[in-house]
Formats: sequence, C-alpha cells, structure tokens
Amino acid sequence: MGRMTKNGKSNGSAKADELRSKQVFTTGEAAEVCRVSQQTIIRCFDAGRLNGFRVPGSRFRRIPRDELLRFMRENDIPTEALEDSRRRILVVDDDPEIVSLLLDVLGNDERFEVRSAQTGYDAGVMTEEFRPDVIILDYMLPDINGNVVCQTIRKNPKLTGIRVLVVSGVVDRDAVQDLLDAGADAFIKKPFDLGELTSQIDQLLTV
Amino acid sequence: MPATLTPTKSAKTDTNKSRRIEMILRQVDSLPTLPAVALRLLSLTASDESDAREVIETVSADPALTANILAMCRHSDTGVRSDGLTIEKAVLLLGFNAVRNAVLSLKVMEVFGREERSGTSDEPEGGKRPDDESLVANRSSLVPAPFDRTGFWRHSLAVAVAAEQIAAAHSDQDDLPPAEAFVCGLLHDIGKLAIDFVLPKSYDRVAELVDLNQGNIAEFERRVIGIDHHTAGKRLAQQWDLPQMLQDCIWLHGAPLETLPQLDHRRMIGLVRLADLVARQQHIGYSGNFAMKADPAALAVQLDLDPDRVAQVTEELLGEVESRQRVLGLADVPTHRMFLESIQQANQKLGRLNAALDRRSRASSMQAKVLDAITMFHSDASPGRSVHDALAQIGQSAAEALGRGYWAIVHQPAMDDRWLLAEFDEAGMSPEFRWVDPPLDAPDITTIHALPTGIEGPNGSIAAAGFLPLLGGYLSHTTDISSLRVLPLGCGWGTSALLVHDCDALPPLSALAALTQTWGATLAAVSQHEGARRLSEQLAEANQALADAQDQLLQAEAISKLGELASGAAHEMNNPLAIISGRAQLLLNTLDRNGNAHAAAKVIDEQARRLSELITSLRLWADPPQPGRTPTDVTALLNRIVGGFIDELSQRHAPVSLQVKHDLPTIDLDPIMVTDALHELLRNAVQSQPKSAVHVIGRVNRADRMLVVQVIDDGVGMDAHTLSHAMDPFFSAKPAGRLIGMGLPRARQLIAAHGGQLHLRSLPGEGTIATVSLPLDSPR
Repeated sequence: MGRMTKNGKSNGSAKADELRSKQVFTTGEAAEVCRVSQQTIIRCFDAGRLNGFRVPGSRFRRIPRDELLRFMRENDIPTEALEDSRRRILVVDDDPEIVSLLLDVLGNDERFEVRSAQTGYDAGVMTEEFRPDVIILDYMLPDINGNVVCQTIRKNPKLTGIRVLVVSGVVDRDAVQDLLDAGADAFIKKPFDLGELTSQIDQLLTV
Repeated sequence: MPATLTPTKSAKTDTNKSRRIEMILRQVDSLPTLPAVALRLLSLTASDESDAREVIETVSADPALTANILAMCRHSDTGVRSDGLTIEKAVLLLGFNAVRNAVLSLKVMEVFGREERSGTSDEPEGGKRPDDESLVANRSSLVPAPFDRTGFWRHSLAVAVAAEQIAAAHSDQDDLPPAEAFVCGLLHDIGKLAIDFVLPKSYDRVAELVDLNQGNIAEFERRVIGIDHHTAGKRLAQQWDLPQMLQDCIWLHGAPLETLPQLDHRRMIGLVRLADLVARQQHIGYSGNFAMKADPAALAVQLDLDPDRVAQVTEELLGEVESRQRVLGLADVPTHRMFLESIQQANQKLGRLNAALDRRSRASSMQAKVLDAITMFHSDASPGRSVHDALAQIGQSAAEALGRGYWAIVHQPAMDDRWLLAEFDEAGMSPEFRWVDPPLDAPDITTIHALPTGIEGPNGSIAAAGFLPLLGGYLSHTTDISSLRVLPLGCGWGTSALLVHDCDALPPLSALAALTQTWGATLAAVSQHEGARRLSEQLAEANQALADAQDQLLQAEAISKLGELASGAAHEMNNPLAIISGRAQLLLNTLDRNGNAHAAAKVIDEQARRLSELITSLRLWADPPQPGRTPTDVTALLNRIVGGFIDELSQRHAPVSLQVKHDLPTIDLDPIMVTDALHELLRNAVQSQPKSAVHVIGRVNRADRMLVVQVIDDGVGMDAHTLSHAMDPFFSAKPAGRLIGMGLPRARQLIAAHGGQLHLRSLPGEGTIATVSLPLDSPR
C-alpha cells in the first residue's frame, strides 16, 4: 500500500488526487481508475452491471462515485486509486499553538491526514466536508462548548462512526462526565503525554 | 406587725382606717399657723417702713404660711416655674398685699382658737380607737405630754436653719441652694400639723404614746391614726401642688438614704434628713423622734458633705435659730435659758427613756437582735454572690433573728418569671432549691405591695397571705398550712420574695420592716446583678460565636474565591503548559539521548506537568468532590497503593515496606481518593530523607470501628511550628526549604471526605508518623 506524505507528493499524483475527490465519473475516468479500457466500462454500463445515468439531452454516460466503488469491489478491482487509505483527523482548538503542536505531532505520521478548525462553527463545516475519522476536540471553544459539538455530531445520522477525543485543561469531574454523556469517546487532560495521545487515537481508530 | 400591739384584725377596722385617712385628707385644705407669726407678718406688710427682707424672713419662719404662699404662687398666673421657687421669690412676686391676704386666708385665729376646745370628739366616723392599753398602762404615773405645737414649730425652724446653713456651708454644690433647703426643712414635718389639725385628740394620744415609749412618732401615728405624718404630708403636698422636691422631702425624709431611688433631688432629701438629725441632736424643739437612728457625720459623708462643716453648723445652730425667732418676735426666751431648757428637755427625755427601758426591754432586745441580724447579714455579703447564696443567707439570718422554725422563701426574679423555691431546716440552714412553675391563677409576686403602711394583718400583708393556699402544693412542710405565715420581702419597686415561716412572735413592725426590706432589697439587687451578669456573659458568648462564624465565613469566601480562580486558571494555564510540555516532548525525539539538551527538555516537560498538577490540586481543594464509594478490599487496595508507588520510585529513594494483616475488611470507600491521599503521605515520607525506610502499617481498631493506616518514616521530621502549619496549603517553614505544597492538606481533605481523620506526629531529626483513621462503616 503506497503511503503518501503530505509534504512529499509526486507530480503524477496530482491527477490521482483530482480523481479521488470526484463524485461523478465519465467512462474514460472510470476506465483509468479501474485500469481497464474505456470499451470495457461502456460494455458493462450498457449491460447494466455498472449503473449510471446519461447526461440529459445527450448520450454521454456518467457513473456516480458510490456505484463505481461498488462495481470495483464486486470485481475485485483495487480501490486504491479512488480511496485514500490515510485516516482523517480534525483538530479543533481555538489556541493556534495547540493546533500547531498537534499538526506537528500527527502530521509527521504518514497514516494520518490532518486538518484543523478554530471554532465550533468551522468544526461543523469541516466535519461535513472532510468526513474525519477522529475529531480531537477542545472543550472550551469561543463560540460553542465541546459538549454541544459532540451532541451535534451524534445527532447527524450521516456522521456515525466519527470518534471524538476531547482534550482539555478542565479538571472538573462533572464537566468531563458531561462530555462523555454528550457522546465523546475519550478524554485526555492537557498537558498530555504525546505517546499517550497517539495510542489513544490508535485505539479509537481500531474500534 | 409587732406582737406587743395586736389590734383585733377585722375588715371593719381596715375600712374604718381607710375612711379616716380619706377624712383626714379631705380636711387638710388649709393649715394652722402661729398667731405670733401671722400678726408680725400682718403688721409688717401694713407698715410703710417694712422692707422686703423682713417680710421674707417672717414668712420664711412659718411653715404653714410658706406652704400656702408657695401654693398661691403656683395657682396664680404668674408664669413662675415651679422648681427653684423660694419664699423670697414668692413674696417679691406676689407683693405685700397678696402675702397679707394669704395670711388672712389661713384664718389663723380660728385655727388656734381650737386650743380652747375640750372634749370634742375627733372620731367623726365613730370607730373604736385601737386598743392601746398595754402601752398606756402607766400613763397616770407620768405627766401627759400632748402634742407640743410650739416645740413642733421650733423643731421645724431648727431643721430649716440647719438645712440652710449646711447648704450655705457647701455653696460650691449647686444642687443644694440654701433658700430651697430652708423651705424643705421648714415644711418637712408638715404632715404632723395636718394630722394634728384634723384629729387633735388622737394626735395628743400619739404624742403621749411616743413620749411614754420613747419611740418613733411615725410608728405610733400609723398605729393610732392609720396614717403617718410622712404619708399625710405627702398627700397634703400633692393636694397643694407643691414642687416635686418639696413633696419628696416631706414624704421621704424619714427613709434611709440607701433606700431612696435615684431622684434628681435625692441629696436634698438627704440634707433634710441630716438637718433633722442635727436639730434633734441639739434637742431644739419637738420632733417626736426619740431614737437616734443614724450618725450625722456618717450621713454627711454619704451625702458628699464635709462632716467638719456640718459639725460647725451644728455648733452654731442654737444661736442661729434664736436669731430667726427674734425676727418673729418670739425670742422672748434668752439664749442661755433656751439652751438650759434644751438641756433640761434632753435630761427629761433621758430620764423617761430610762423609766421606759424595763417596759421596752423585750421590744428593744428584739430590735437589737434585728439590728444585729442586719449587721450580720451585711457582713456576710460578698460582691459576687449569687441569688442562691443570697437566699441561703436570708434563711440563715431569718432563723437567727426570729428563732428556729419552719423557713422557706419563694423568689420570683422578674415579672412573669418562674418561682425559685428555697426550703430550709429548722435552723435556717441547708437550703434546698427548686424552680417551679407558678400556679396559673397566682398573682405576680413582684407586684405585691410590701411597704409597711400600717394596714397589714398579723401574717403580713393580706395579698401576701393569700399566697399560702397557692404555695401549699409546693412546700414539703407536712404540718397544717394554716400554721404558716407569709412575710413579703420588699424592694424598691415591689416585692422580690415571700418569706414563709411559722413564727408566732415577730419583732415590732418598724424593726421587722427594716429586716424584710434589707433582705428584699439585697435579694432584688443580687437578682438584678446576676441577670445583668448572665446577659453580659450571653452577650460575650454571642459575640464570640459571631466572630467565629465570621472567621469561617471569611475562610469559606476565600476558598470559594480560590476555587473560582483555580477553575479559570486550570483552563487558561493548562493550554500553555500543554504547549510547553508537548514541544519539550517533540524535542526529546530529535535530541541525542545522552546530551544535556535532552535532559533539559525532559525537565521542562516534567515541571510543566508539575505546575499543572498543582493547579488541579488547588481546584480540588477549593471544590472537593464527593467520594464515589464502592465496596473495596482494603488489603488489596493497600497492596496496590504501595506497589504502584514503589513502581514510580527511582532507585535513590529509601525502601518502602508494607505490613498489612490479611483480615482487613472490605469497606465502602472511593479507592481513587484513598489512593491519592496515601500517595501524598508516601511522597511526603520518602522526601523526608529517611535514614532507613518508610513503613506502611494497616490495622483495624475494633473498639472505635476504624481502619488505621500509618505511614512512618525516620526522616528529618518537623518542628512544632511546621507541624502546626503542615495542613495549610503552600506552607513552607524554611524560605529555601522543600515546599510542602498541597500534598498534606489534600490528603487530609480526601480522608475527611470519607469521614476520617489524618493525624501527624513528628519530632525534628527523628521522623514523622502520619496516621489515617477511616470509619469501617460508611456514614449513611
């Protein structure tokens, strides 16, 4: 499995990134992703084995991303070109130094793709867009408290499977319990041991 | 009531007496006066050459005239203030004609015309006079001594002059103006004139009895007439609306100074009493008092007057009185003759006194006994005595003075208060005290009238005797309750207690009153004092409690503030600490493991975390969590605690051993909190540089149902100062020494949260024993 680091992308991978972010594919693009000929794709499309639609008022075939993935898995085609194997982590903290610290710690780890947000609102937008596997959440945010962020994520059925790790300076037992009740998966107190932090993240990802 | 004189007590007698008193008071609209004075005054005011001074002197010399003129002055619309009114002012104000009219209005001649009266009954109500046979039995053997009006007048003038001269000799004391002192002295016995005017025959009888018995005229006035000249004079003074000071002098001049309430003119009353004593000492005139109750010099001291100056006045009194008499045209008697007369009179009195001694021996021995009793009673007084002490003393004094018998006292400290009952043995000793709730229908003891008015029954006042049936249920006295009698013990404002006894013979009323008033007043004073003392003690206690509460409140406030601060600080400080610690940890990965920089980065990381822990401790200290109790195997827990601690230790620390009995029970406790607490103690022990080791011993104290865990080290120990502050957060004995920080206070708090205790014992250089006691049973 080819791991890519954020800092060391090759030129050729620009195209791959572009493909990965696409939601709808032409038959040519699908052929490239699946590494088969365009004719094969067209044949499968026409035979109904690869579902899609035609662009209204034309004959051009279009294949949605989900359907393409299903097709690839069904035929044991590696999905590597379409899916990034790195786990996505969203760091939410209003202190830029904390964000910077966590980016340095996690960004050096090739397994992770890390993004950050500084407010509760940004965190919401990023969650929808970035679909993180793990959110590292500060309790005290300038606009919304961490427990509200937790509740919002848990209420959204599309976002199931997201793990929330709260990292905070609060020491109040009750506040921590509130967070866990609101749907946080784990809590780590600031300041933290870096080893403990990464092992906690690993643990959340394997569950 | 004296045993020597026991009138047949009946409701009728009482009614007659009170009626007679009313009659007396009705008839005293005007007062008799001396014709010589009146004539002199009339001639003075009619004459062109007469001057104001002479008029004033003349009027001043006559008590009845003075009183009338002052009354006129008051009733006219002259706008004169009642206080400070003197004859001098009055005469100038009213003018000569008014004074003449006043004299005429007195119907002087009419009044004194009665000297020709004979055989007219002065018993208008027809009531039978009390039977005084026992006292007048020997009358025939002595010359009858009817009321000596000239003597009375001379006495009044002597008292007036004495009061004026003593006041003048103390001109620096402005509450005793001489002119007013003169008026007060002149009128002080006006009650006698009133009684004599209304009931001349009865009053002659009074004078006769007084002379015979060498007694006190007031006592005989009460017996024979039912009212004494003090009361009669006071009523008269009120009727005439005389100034309050004059009224009080007339009413109270016979009372001992100590018994007087704190009136503005208390000293003036005392001065009149003193002048009365001086005049009697000089045997000038007729006062009707034969007993010298007080020493003028002692009374002078009591009044803040100079005894030497009083003696000087006394010496010159005779001459002064004579010169005043001359003003009145009555100085027909030369000085030396008057003096001889006085001597003669005194000798005569002495002779009669001797003659009466046998007859009066019983009464006087009783009186002497009473005086002794009072002296004894006061000699036993101590300033700090309690109400119980005072009651015990009264019981003892009563039995000593009045004889063995049944003795009990019912004391009511204040209105609506409970009764304190004291019962004594036959000798008035070994009192037993009981507080009882008064019967619902019992009147307030404090409101009973206890002053001797002459209208008491043989068992004391009627009102007091009415208490007997009510008391029956409380007294342990087994004999018939009807054999008991009740004496009210009066004080300034009423009655402080009732003395219950079975004595048949009591001393004469006057002596008995002195005794009961002494007891009553003492008891009242002690009771008041005790009440005040108790109040002040309660006040002091309340103040102490308030101060303590305030301290606690301040501490609670301080802790609460610390809590808020720590809570905010926890967030604000933990972020930078997380960055410092995190960056240090990142550095560690890149630095050479053996280099100095690596070690430095490690220290940075450790210290950042230590600071954070301190903030956490502060927060927990200010707002401690409740223990989350779960049934916990204590043996296993102690093993985990010590084991976990040893794992944290580096090699250079002293060894830690654990001795635990395996039969330690399972206790409901918060294992995390107990672990934290014991870790703090272990940390403290290990950091004390133990010479050998740190021992942890766990056992159970079955008697107290306590789990006892001791952490023992033989390290540096703590001195008394450090030990006493060991539980204060951030206390450090030495500026450069190891910071105790939050460790011990936190440990104590965690243990206290379990209802347990942490004790420290330590000696410098020998080590420290920290003892944790946790209850086996959780407090539910």
